Amino acid sequence: MRFTITREKLQEGLSAVGASIPSKTTLPVLANILVETTDKGIRLSGTDLDIAVATEVAADVDSPGGITIPAKKLIEIARELPPNPVKVASSGDQRITLECGRSKFKLLGLPKDEFPAFPAVKFANALRIKSGELQQLISHVAFAVSTEESRPILNGVLWELRADRMRMVATNGHRLAKMELPVNGGGGSQDLIVPPKALEQIRRLFPAEEELEIAKGENHLGFRSPLTSVFTRLIEGPYPNYEQVIPKDNDKVCIADKALLTSAIKRMSVIASDQTHRIKLSFNAGMLKFAVQTPDLGEAQDEIPVRFDGDPIDIGFNASYLLEVLRFIPTDEVKLTLKAPERAATIEPEAWKDPAAFLALVMPLRLVD
Amino acid sequence: MSDPRRILLADADAFFVAVARLVDPEAAAATRLIVGGRPGSRGVVCSASYETRQFGVRSGMPIARALRLCPDATCVPVPRDACAERSRAIRDVLGRWAPVVRAASIDEWYLDLSGTESLYREPLAETARKIRDAVLEETGLSVSFGGGTNSLIAKLAVEHAKPKPGTGKTGVHVVEPGLELAFMERVALAEIPGIGPTFQRKLADRGLVGAADVWRHDLATLSRWFGERAARWLHDRARGIHDAPVAPREAAKSIGHEDTFPEDLADDAALEVELRRLVERTAASLRADGLVARTVTVKCKDFDFELRTARRTVRTGLESDRAIADVAIALLGRLRAARRVPVRLLGVSLSGLAEGRTGGQLALFAEAQPAEREKDRAVSRAMDAVRTRLGSTAITRGRPVRRGSA
Repeated sequence: MRFTITREKLQEGLSAVGASIPSKTTLPVLANILVETTDKGIRLSGTDLDIAVATEVAADVDSPGGITIPAKKLIEIARELPPNPVKVASSGDQRITLECGRSKFKLLGLPKDEFPAFPAVKFANALRIKSGELQQLISHVAFAVSTEESRPILNGVLWELRADRMRMVATNGHRLAKMELPVNGGGGSQDLIVPPKALEQIRRLFPAEEELEIAKGENHLGFRSPLTSVFTRLIEGPYPNYEQVIPKDNDKVCIADKALLTSAIKRMSVIASDQTHRIKLSFNAGMLKFAVQTPDLGEAQDEIPVRFDGDPIDIGFNASYLLEVLRFIPTDEVKLTLKAPERAATIEPEAWKDPAAFLALVMPLRLVD
Repeated sequence: MSDPRRILLADADAFFVAVARLVDPEAAAATRLIVGGRPGSRGVVCSASYETRQFGVRSGMPIARALRLCPDATCVPVPRDACAERSRAIRDVLGRWAPVVRAASIDEWYLDLSGTESLYREPLAETARKIRDAVLEETGLSVSFGGGTNSLIAKLAVEHAKPKPGTGKTGVHVVEPGLELAFMERVALAEIPGIGPTFQRKLADRGLVGAADVWRHDLATLSRWFGERAARWLHDRARGIHDAPVAPREAAKSIGHEDTFPEDLADDAALEVELRRLVERTAASLRADGLVARTVTVKCKDFDFELRTARRTVRTGLESDRAIADVAIALLGRLRAARRVPVRLLGVSLSGLAEGRTGGQLALFAEAQPAEREKDRAVSRAMDAVRTRLGSTAITRGRPVRRGSA
């Protein structure tokens, strides 16, 4: 194998694949990047066996072939190279030389046959979805996944595909984010539970305007654009029935200025307990009052004007859950609905002119007296 | 300059031995007494009477070895409940004399009597003697006092106070303010808390054995040898300088219990029973302190002394036996899956401690309710209440009894 590539193209390819290389592994070849020649250049591939990324970059190929190269060292070398064309050649199935200007490197790799095969996913009947739409869902929902190991199913994002819409839902059991977009021409109906790490790569790697092909293998999901593909393991199991916990009868409605609300909650959270982040919200006609009281620390109060419709209510929340959700509200005003101090509250954008729909749920914290 | 601080360290004399003698007739009759476990058991010496220590018996030594050194010693198990109860009783007496009392262990307490000069109007040593008499009268236990202007001096001084037979010591040794250096001159570096065997060797390599040996070198030399932080620390400690206050309550970082089995256990079910017992004891200590724990660690020493641990952190603090046992048993399963060999010792420790039930976060999904329900907490508290009144064996869960007694 022998090819010449610009330093920039090499760096571009490596930065796409680098994130899928595990930092620690018991299988030595996983610390390597698979480099193979193609018709138009070279393909770089990396995997940690949960997620696999491959991308093609332009290069002048002199003689075809493939080899795996230690990823960390190759990335470090590429970063330090002078701005000259890079000549890469392999001899035998383990030795690599890399030349750039007057710099010359010899590296020891591993045979390409040792590199694990990518999951078998057939793209024949692939779904076609615009990358930007997927990114919008991912960036509004993925934050809400659970990081606890006790319920693995909640460590994934539920992605519901229907003929006319797609929806993503994530929750840690205490708060939930849900976003939905109308799509047309979608395939059949599928529910997939995708690890957020893979979604983060999707968001990062594909330009917004690109159309992606998406196909499901036995237990894997593949995403493909003309140059880049990402495969991920799917999380198995039934996702909890989240529809059931979305309140339909919340009769107290509050419209608040998002910036005012956010800054008041931030002020309260300074005094809130590091453990629970508990703050108290008291909704009254025209006014939302905040109070926090933490033993051994102190207390604080605040208030902001709001539009509120319903009987007054005192309710406790984890301040960081509220702040997290408010970050993703795309409008200047936010709508909160409530029912009772121990029932879920909803948070939505107010007067959002967008075909998408976003909804977050936050379960309260019990107030202690 | 403000008045020098008045710090005492109260150290109960041969505490476990003394308590065993109060509650165990067999122990009461024995002069040469080892508390820790029965002969033939694989426990370690928890405490030994002064008469046995003359034979070289030390705390932490396996019972079998202690018996080789002192074959006619009487061995009794640790009277755990009685020890906890007497420890509290001593603490209560101390608390009546000193504004600040901090327990350093089950049988050691630091007392800060600063500011009581005009209250007691007598030398610190005199006050210490009165407290010593009061403790003896009310609890039947003898406590030695070391005293000085800081907790380091008090800790070192108590070793000069212990009324070991034949030494003529009276149980109180107070280093008067200004006499710290004269006192430190007699102290070996090995006696200073924080200087362990490794550091001792490094010090000895430089010819430093007594505290006074350190005085001959300036800070720069010490820094070159041991690094800046260790040098500063050593420079001060060797001169008896230690500014840390006696905090009224130093929060525990973890609470744990462990057991060495009489013989190695290979059976998973038997190990689970032992683990549940350990969890019950540990969780009871946790609740007694009004704490909840987020991290559960299970420790397992295999027959070949290989020590392995597994830990898990959950979202909300736990306090009930059942919820903690669930996590601990899963962790034990993980350890056993990795290496299924006979086990010599199991331990459980709880960390990530927080005060009280700070939780209260409600859950969206019924099945996502926290690992612990109010019912679990109520059951545990009810069991605690029964045990407080009737003793630790008065009530236990069904499962360990059924399997354990089989």
